[in-house]
Amino acid sequence: MTDSNFKEKSVALWNRFAKTVKTHPHAQFFIFGLVMVMLGYFSSVGVFPSFYLSVFAYIIIYTLVALGLNLLLGFSGLISLASSSFIGVGALGTGVFLNLGLPFELAAALAIVSAAGIGALIGLLSSKISGIYLAISTLFIAEILRQIFTSVDIFGGERLDIGTVKLLGFIELSRNSRAERFYLYAIMAIVLALMMMVVYNIIKSRSGRAFMGISRSENSAAAMGISPLKYRVMAFTVATFFAAVAGVLYALYFQDAPTRQWGLLQSLTIIAIVVVGGFKSIYGMFFGAVIIHGMSELFLKDWLGNVSSVFSGILLIVVILFYPQGIAHVWIDLKKLYYKLKTRKKKDVINDES
Amino acid sequence: MSHDDYVLKLDNVTMRFGGLTAVNGLSFSIKPREIVGLIGPNGAGKTTVFNCVTQFYDTYEGTISFKVDDAITNLKDRKVTEVIDLGIARTFQNIELVPDLSILDNIMIGAHNTFKTGIVQHIFRTPKARAEEKAVREKAIEALKFMHIDHLKDQFAGGQPYGVQKKIEIARTLMSDPKLIILDEPAAGLNDSETDELETLIYRIRDEYDASVLLIEHDMGFVMGICDRVCAINFGQFLAMDTPKNIQNHPDVQEAYLGKED
Amino acid sequence: MYGGLVSFSGVNTVGNFLNILFNSLQTGSTYALAALAIVLIFRTSKTTNFAQGSIGTLNAYVAALVLSSWGWSIWAVAIVSMVTAFLTGVLIDTFIIRPAAKVNKIAKQIITLGLIMIITGISPYLFGVDPYQLPRFIPQGGMEILGSSLKYNTIFIVLISLFFMGAIFWFIQKTKWGLAIRVTASNEVTSKLMGVPTKTVTMMSWATAAMLGTLAAIIVAPAGSVNPNMMFNVQVSAFFAGVFGGFQTFYGPVLAAFIIAFARNTTVFYLTDIWGDVLVYMIILVFLFFKPYGIFGKPPVKKV
Repeated sequence: MTDSNFKEKSVALWNRFAKTVKTHPHAQFFIFGLVMVMLGYFSSVGVFPSFYLSVFAYIIIYTLVALGLNLLLGFSGLISLASSSFIGVGALGTGVFLNLGLPFELAAALAIVSAAGIGALIGLLSSKISGIYLAISTLFIAEILRQIFTSVDIFGGERLDIGTVKLLGFIELSRNSRAERFYLYAIMAIVLALMMMVVYNIIKSRSGRAFMGISRSENSAAAMGISPLKYRVMAFTVATFFAAVAGVLYALYFQDAPTRQWGLLQSLTIIAIVVVGGFKSIYGMFFGAVIIHGMSELFLKDWLGNVSSVFSGILLIVVILFYPQGIAHVWIDLKKLYYKLKTRKKKDVINDES
Repeated sequence: MSHDDYVLKLDNVTMRFGGLTAVNGLSFSIKPREIVGLIGPNGAGKTTVFNCVTQFYDTYEGTISFKVDDAITNLKDRKVTEVIDLGIARTFQNIELVPDLSILDNIMIGAHNTFKTGIVQHIFRTPKARAEEKAVREKAIEALKFMHIDHLKDQFAGGQPYGVQKKIEIARTLMSDPKLIILDEPAAGLNDSETDELETLIYRIRDEYDASVLLIEHDMGFVMGICDRVCAINFGQFLAMDTPKNIQNHPDVQEAYLGKED
Repeated sequence: MYGGLVSFSGVNTVGNFLNILFNSLQTGSTYALAALAIVLIFRTSKTTNFAQGSIGTLNAYVAALVLSSWGWSIWAVAIVSMVTAFLTGVLIDTFIIRPAAKVNKIAKQIITLGLIMIITGISPYLFGVDPYQLPRFIPQGGMEILGSSLKYNTIFIVLISLFFMGAIFWFIQKTKWGLAIRVTASNEVTSKLMGVPTKTVTMMSWATAAMLGTLAAIIVAPAGSVNPNMMFNVQVSAFFAGVFGGFQTFYGPVLAAFIIAFARNTTVFYLTDIWGDVLVYMIILVFLFFKPYGIFGKPPVKKV
């Protein structure tokens, strides 16, 4: 092969690759996952400070919960004030079932199923209860779970120690070495990318359209055969499912499941991530998590110490006042502006030529 | 087609809301491939009749029957979400489209119950799920072509002109291959040329989809022009049902609209 | 929950019951104050104020600071904190809530989360990290009734709370501004069209809510130390009272607050320590399923 031949072929290959990525959102999620893994790699080899890895891990966890909550809040118009509690169900549930001697995968699956079951029950509640009453009902559930976590012995009082995890029966990963921590993180990044694809598939299917239908008008949705109750149950179940998966990832990475961490404040933070990130946007959830959690942990804490909380609060208020649609929609507006300028330029060229 | 053939029959339907009787002993029927208009002054109970037919209100007295291919269903036996499966589709007075979805996606909601694949198959994008989605998508494009708005299919439904939104709502009803289409004020807010286009479209719907159309409308010119028969009600009660010409000359109908001559 | 407020005797059933009653009246008062604040803002500003507890805590800190720096009495600092609370409410409404009027409902509630973050972050810098103490209004003394012990402080707390809330109810029912509040609460758009000064109404609601929250905080503070989390329990109970009593009325949540306080104390004492709360919450959830708008709530009318 001659030089120019080789160049041509590489360019052609790159163009095909770029086209595939552009037209296939799943490829984009895959690349996003790779990028997240790379960020973790940089942390573990010292390009970033090593504590960044834990922050990235937290961002992944928050993004995942926010993705589920987005289906509930952004698409279906329903609120949950219990998101954080369901992360707890995932983490503590995994711990409990591990302590019973079950393999990690089974323990995780059981924890997730339990969470989804409670989610389905909340969905059934929503057949009668709505609005602020439904929102506070989820707070009731959160308080009940909090009481259970802190009072029932099998949750270990303060925390459940998970320790080294054994995956697929033989891969042992502890938190002792940098490499192991990176592998744990990498698993989280891959799971996130996969779950983003899952959300995307749901949104683009008739279920996603149905969620938006019942959010806009339950009556017209019912007239088209969409049962509002069925989809509310589905929405709550999916949301709690995602939160529980995030909890399992927490248990996987931090190898520890606290009982007192899952409260209203964190649930509100997750709602903030959905709002700031942008309703109905998948990448928005990631941006929201970065802004709300990442910025304060990675940068502000360094400069401002504990006042970082103040700045997070101000940032939150400012973003909502000026971009109530969320960061993702700012991005869309920028794209629209770009196309507008492009077509105006084209028009000018045409006018000049005529 | 026998004289007694019908696609929808109301038999002595009464609907009360507490002390208010919105519909009172109403009986009428619609034949297959017939265009029927329901008229009456404001507050006569027309939308309530629609809501009873579609089982949004299911506490009415009397019977509403739906007949297709010799199978008769008492609609009260069905839930509001099942009515579309039987073959009854409707539009709403206040346009209920999802503004953040594309026009195409909005139409596809109309075919919601025609899907055989479930959410798990959609999550894993099985070949069956993808094929179904593609088929519904193509059907939706056909429906949009029928309404002459397929060039707008990827635009957001929110922010569309009023006339376009009305067309979207009607296109959505076509997705379930209905035998009876109920239109709630389809001509409201349309100008003359849009109203003419609507008239042509409704005729085509009747012919190409083999459906009956029941509509509420206040634009009398439109109603009298398009309907085979017109049913006039007032205070929820039956006044008359006849051809447009005879209805216009009916003394009770005139009195209801214009008042009694002194 | 019981520390230092009432004393128990194992065999004395009437006494125990009365102790529970008096205790419930006291904690119920704090829940009621907070619940009234929540429903006031919810109905006039259409916002769920998650920062209610934080605002109260902030002004309780102010009271504690003044007390420890200048040695004023609890009565004096209480009044000072009422004034600062009023100002806090006005400032929050003017600079944060009013500009957010056009924002969607969910986003509005999240703004109050931002408030929590700001207040929590700023407290150590304004007040330092050492714990503060606020004394009771009436430090000691009480009376014996049928084997129960009723402290003067408890009587005072219940009376001042009822008085404050009663004054607000009277104001809402009987004055012109109260009418403005009721009208804004039922329909803000129509109120604006009719010339009701809704801006002032929401400002007054936030100011009043801040004062209610601060009074609750000052009542709660003596049981421990003044710390950022001290109002969490009251806050959550206030939301529960709002939903249980129904947001359609102002008195519903207040009554529900006392019922909840009483129910929790009763189940915790007579049944089980840990699960008393859970039991009460589950019962309320079941109740809501059958009466989804609370005890006194009415469902809104649906039109298709």
